[in-house]
Amino acid sequence: MPAPVPFDPQEIVDAKYDERPTREGVTTKRLICAACDIACSVVGEVKKGRVTKIRSSDNPIFKDNICMKGIVAPKGLAHPNRILHPLRRVGERGSGEFERVTWEEAMSDIGSRLKKVVADHGPEAWAVSTSQWNTSTDHGLGRRVMNHVGSPNWISGVALCAGNTAAVNRFTYGWFPFGDFSSTNCIVLMGHNPRRHSWTPLYNSIRSAQARGAKLIVMDPRRSSSAERADIWLPLKAGSDAAMMLGWLKVIIDEELYDKEFVADWTLGFDELKERVNEYPLDRVAKLTGCDPEMIAEAARVYATSGPSIIPWTPITDMQRNSTSGIRLQTILRSICGYVDVPGGELLQGFNPDIVNESTIEMHHVLSDEQKMKQLGSKDHPAFTYRGQLAFREPTKRVYGQEYANLVTGCHMATPSETFRAMAGEGEYPVKAFFFLGNNPLMSYANMPLIHKAMMNQDLIVSHEQFMTPSAQLADYILPADSWLERPWIHDMFGWMSTIRFSEKAMDPPGECKSTFEFWKQIAGALDMPETVPWDTIEDFYDYRVAGTGKSFADLISDTDVHFKKPAFKTYEKTGFATPSGKVELKSSLLEELGFDPLPYFREDPPHDKDYPLKMFTGVREDPFFQTGHRHIPEMRARCPEPQIFLNEKTAKAAGVSEGDWVTVENQLGSVKAILAVKDAMPDDLVRVPHGWWKPEMAQGNGSLSGAWDYSDAQLCRDDPDYLDREQGIPHLKGIPCRVVPFASDALDEVGGKTQHMEPAE
Amino acid sequence: MSSEQKRIRKKERSTRLAIWMAARSSRNKTFLDRMCRKMIIKATAVDPVNDFMRDEFVDNDQGFDPEELDRYQRGEAV
Repeated sequence: MPAPVPFDPQEIVDAKYDERPTREGVTTKRLICAACDIACSVVGEVKKGRVTKIRSSDNPIFKDNICMKGIVAPKGLAHPNRILHPLRRVGERGSGEFERVTWEEAMSDIGSRLKKVVADHGPEAWAVSTSQWNTSTDHGLGRRVMNHVGSPNWISGVALCAGNTAAVNRFTYGWFPFGDFSSTNCIVLMGHNPRRHSWTPLYNSIRSAQARGAKLIVMDPRRSSSAERADIWLPLKAGSDAAMMLGWLKVIIDEELYDKEFVADWTLGFDELKERVNEYPLDRVAKLTGCDPEMIAEAARVYATSGPSIIPWTPITDMQRNSTSGIRLQTILRSICGYVDVPGGELLQGFNPDIVNESTIEMHHVLSDEQKMKQLGSKDHPAFTYRGQLAFREPTKRVYGQEYANLVTGCHMATPSETFRAMAGEGEYPVKAFFFLGNNPLMSYANMPLIHKAMMNQDLIVSHEQFMTPSAQLADYILPADSWLERPWIHDMFGWMSTIRFSEKAMDPPGECKSTFEFWKQIAGALDMPETVPWDTIEDFYDYRVAGTGKSFADLISDTDVHFKKPAFKTYEKTGFATPSGKVELKSSLLEELGFDPLPYFREDPPHDKDYPLKMFTGVREDPFFQTGHRHIPEMRARCPEPQIFLNEKTAKAAGVSEGDWVTVENQLGSVKAILAVKDAMPDDLVRVPHGWWKPEMAQGNGSLSGAWDYSDAQLCRDDPDYLDREQGIPHLKGIPCRVVPFASDALDEVGGKTQHMEPAE
Repeated sequence: MSSEQKRIRKKERSTRLAIWMAARSSRNKTFLDRMCRKMIIKATAVDPVNDFMRDEFVDNDQGFDPEELDRYQRGEAV
């Protein structure tokens, strides 16, 4: 999720400010923080060759965009456990035993073994899992090398977080819009809860919009801090987002609050949509969502009449069994209310014409159609795979000037669950080599037991990492990765926005740490295809990417905070939308072609299981941590030493547990341990399970995997058909049946048991 | 007057008082304004233990010492 910038980036360029005076012996570097995925523009102070301080940018536009994770980064990245040299496994897989080798030795062996896997099983037997948010300098080079080798099996956490949203948005209007926070009149947060130290720029943008009078509507089962600040809070049942939006549409269409001219001129399928929406009268929606029908109607009216309104991307609707319908309903609300591509609404920005974008670098055209169709997940859940997205080539070329638009890196992915099944020997063909970069796959996708089995069944596992994560402990090779302090970076929002920002290299990487750019360059060399990554250095590569600006990368960094194209509105009036019809497809022709319902719907929960009477949701980040990272940093861990689940008092009492108790959350798939915090902000029968917990200080290797088997929420995340979204095949993480029971063990004394201060339902 | 009505009345009065104090506080001109401001800050401030931006580490505005980071990276106690 990139930092929102003012609607007109010229404001950033024109901002008048003096750089803060520096102390003697200190130099400053302009950086983009990569401690989380929001990419704040910050300043690094460098002393004696080390970054000693991260502070906020001197540019007033960015001045409040900093959080605790960024501030503490110089120490977190100097941690004594940082992996500084290439490591090769010496014991059994998962034994946790490694020896130091050179990059040359590692790459030579990796190249031979990967070539053997490709020769024995075909190029599709090589899968890669990564997240460009973390690796940063991948820039599509991984896909480029894979496309030349012939493997379509690239997976990422963006399959259930933003990337899938981008892919599904295209079905309606061909691009993934970004909300204009700076002049919108109404913001709708669907379960998302940006805070001072989590998604900070988004939090600042929302607060700033509220301060100038914009309305805030929050849908969230919890009384989150955003809900407390909202004009309207709809405490809907977890996982019922799609039902709620169908209810909104019912009100908006019945009361004729939509933009009739836009609907008549620019949309297809309104009558069919209306018919579908009529299946969701407010009393039914109230029953499905648990909300008062009058409040639902009032919220819908506020959204439709106070506009332009925005529904910013949310990681909540991304992760549900009705995710495709939920995301489509967001796109439909935006469209019929006339909020697409207008100031204060949702802008379809397109690529920046001066920069070679990552979709181009990826070279998807070199991968044959035959290999594209082998992409795992294509058959049953094609929405974000090549099969689901290839029809956008012509319309994307017509509107945005090129055939492939891999927005937020999420538009040509394999489905994670299908990939792990293939790796475990349960798929349509074997996958025997697995690379992961800046990614902890064991704990980042649903069904951790399956992922563990999949990884144990590999001939070759390569990790590019900063720390010995539970996943890295299962690797054959761990190659040391650099960090955002130690190399330059171009941040182009992964194609989402056309505003480009730049980050300087502030210090040398420690030990033998190398960038993802260098990783892929060396892999290309090891596979005898060095011409695939022809640039000698990352700076050369960046000069190539920015050549269209008429400046070098170094010049751009010194000259400006951003490079952008002027905002333009309603560009569809000239080009049409990048859909097959050129219109906004309320009824999706492509979903219909793929064999799915072309209109949004709501699939109700499977029958209630009396053994698992509660519902849990997971995926939330705690302020000191991002995903599975940062647990090794003392300053962060002191703020949240143990994983905590939240229940309200009534539910805790019914489960026979109380504040500060160690408890077990369990379901049909697995169980995790955590401390109970009783929160009155939680509704009845809902359990908040923290995401991504492991303890770097615990024993490494199979058995404990540094506590992953004790605490990782991925053990509870089911991926059986009832709990998968049909079109995308992504798991339902918002409303999984479970139970909470007291945890009785000697381990209690060892781990202690204090609950920590957190916002109402952080 | 029932006890419930008394409770609501009390809540209304305290809310009115809080709004009046907030208005004085934001004006910040007279001695009374500043008193109100001080009281509101005291009542709404988050304990430094729970507010990272009030942590001594941030308040001091110094950052880390490079030698200290070197020692930390080598695994020596800091």
